[in-house]
Amino acid sequence: MAEALRSLRPGSGADPAETGARALGVAGVAVSVFPMPSADTNGTRAPEPLWWYPELSLRFEELQFTLGEGPGPDAARVGIAVLEPDLDRVRPDRWPVLLPAVRQLGVDGVCCFPLGLGAVRLGMFTLLCDGRGGLDGRQLADANTLAAALTVTLLDGRRPADRKDDDGLPWPADGLHRAVVHQATGMISVQLAIPLTEALVRLRAFAYGSERLIGDVAEDVVARRLRFDDDGSGPRVPVGGEG
Amino acid sequence: MTREQRLAEVFVEIADSLIDDFDVLDLLQRLSARCVELLEVSAAGILLADPRGELQVIAASDEHTRLLELLARQHDQGPCVECFRTGSARTNIDLGRPEAAAAWPRFTPKARELGFVATHAIPLRLRDRVVGALNLFQTSVHRLDDDEIALAQALADVATITILQQRTLEKSYVENTQLNSALTSRILVEQVKGVLAERWGTSVDEAFAAFRAYARAHHLRLTDFARQIVDGTVDTSTIPAPENAQPPEIYE
Repeated sequence: MAEALRSLRPGSGADPAETGARALGVAGVAVSVFPMPSADTNGTRAPEPLWWYPELSLRFEELQFTLGEGPGPDAARVGIAVLEPDLDRVRPDRWPVLLPAVRQLGVDGVCCFPLGLGAVRLGMFTLLCDGRGGLDGRQLADANTLAAALTVTLLDGRRPADRKDDDGLPWPADGLHRAVVHQATGMISVQLAIPLTEALVRLRAFAYGSERLIGDVAEDVVARRLRFDDDGSGPRVPVGGEG
Repeated sequence: MTREQRLAEVFVEIADSLIDDFDVLDLLQRLSARCVELLEVSAAGILLADPRGELQVIAASDEHTRLLELLARQHDQGPCVECFRTGSARTNIDLGRPEAAAAWPRFTPKARELGFVATHAIPLRLRDRVVGALNLFQTSVHRLDDDEIALAQALADVATITILQQRTLEKSYVENTQLNSALTSRILVEQVKGVLAERWGTSVDEAFAAFRAYARAHHLRLTDFARQIVDGTVDTSTIPAPENAQPPEIYE
């Protein structure tokens, strides 16, 4: 598992899908990302495969997102994980076109974890299971850990500037647990008329760029000491805004 | 009304809610408010462990950001973290004692700053697993006795059942999915607070009050309503804005 987490560090050179599949002991792993949307589009974009291992995972991703049905599209729509490690137990009418095609590929089970924070949707993390049975509690916990790490990796990958590599875990303890960060994300999305995903990326980029904690910057936004709508020169302190 | 009568009412209220398709956040928020009434404490919060085992705020007796922020400090330290790790309740903790400040240097001063002098952490247990904690705060020292702690544990058990009873499309791996789903809903609601506060030019706390009042008046689940606002499928100008709303400054 540690190796899989390390593979997410910038410049590690390792393939997160391959190390992830090995660490989790599953038949395949894919990470697909939603293309960065233009303003005002939400939810209808098909994710694009970013990492996969082995080739079977890529075929599965393409199949379900081409057909528009399957655990991935379901998980993307409702924003929660869809776990079907044994496809024999799935009602045939749930994914009528996908199921027969998938069985032909030799996939016995699928687990899809949405990557995101609230309404911020970044992508999907998909595990393929083979006939050895479902996921045990440990595998499930590890998959969730990896999904959380991937979420931060995708957020970082969307930042314009590269962060200095460090020896820490791939997710920095950067305040994503704080309510103000999500509140500020909502405010910035209105200020700039951009989707929440992009607003969170802008907030994080600004925090890194100014070498401040994201929670501190978010506090300033929520307290209206800092606004992101501007003339293009960057976030600024509103006129008359004091502490 | 005696406490016993009030308690019976609360359990009926919760049982009623569980029958219908309910909103987990709304119910947990009501439950937190009931904890405050029944246990005569000043504030209550419910925290759930995320997949990494860090505690995240899921509901609080009031939605003031300062209380949410205090609860959020317990993602890595505080009485709830200890309660979660050991599975045992930590009760009648005097926040004025130097031990509390030494044990939780980021949590304790913040709690004191908000006027809290004592705190309690009660585990949310599912069989042999701990999934989170119920956190109680007092602004005046009043020891909770064994009966009151048993009551707090009963309310914590109701919270656990509430979270894990939430229906999903399919039955497999239900518990895990439901915990994550509750955490996702929580973040979504925070994002919507920000969206509405900015549109109305109010504080996030005022924006949430108006959002919740509208959702309750129209029998909308908080999570669904929040999602519709974010997706743009509901026109937020139809929601009555808080009285002091003012359009934000316009920049050219």
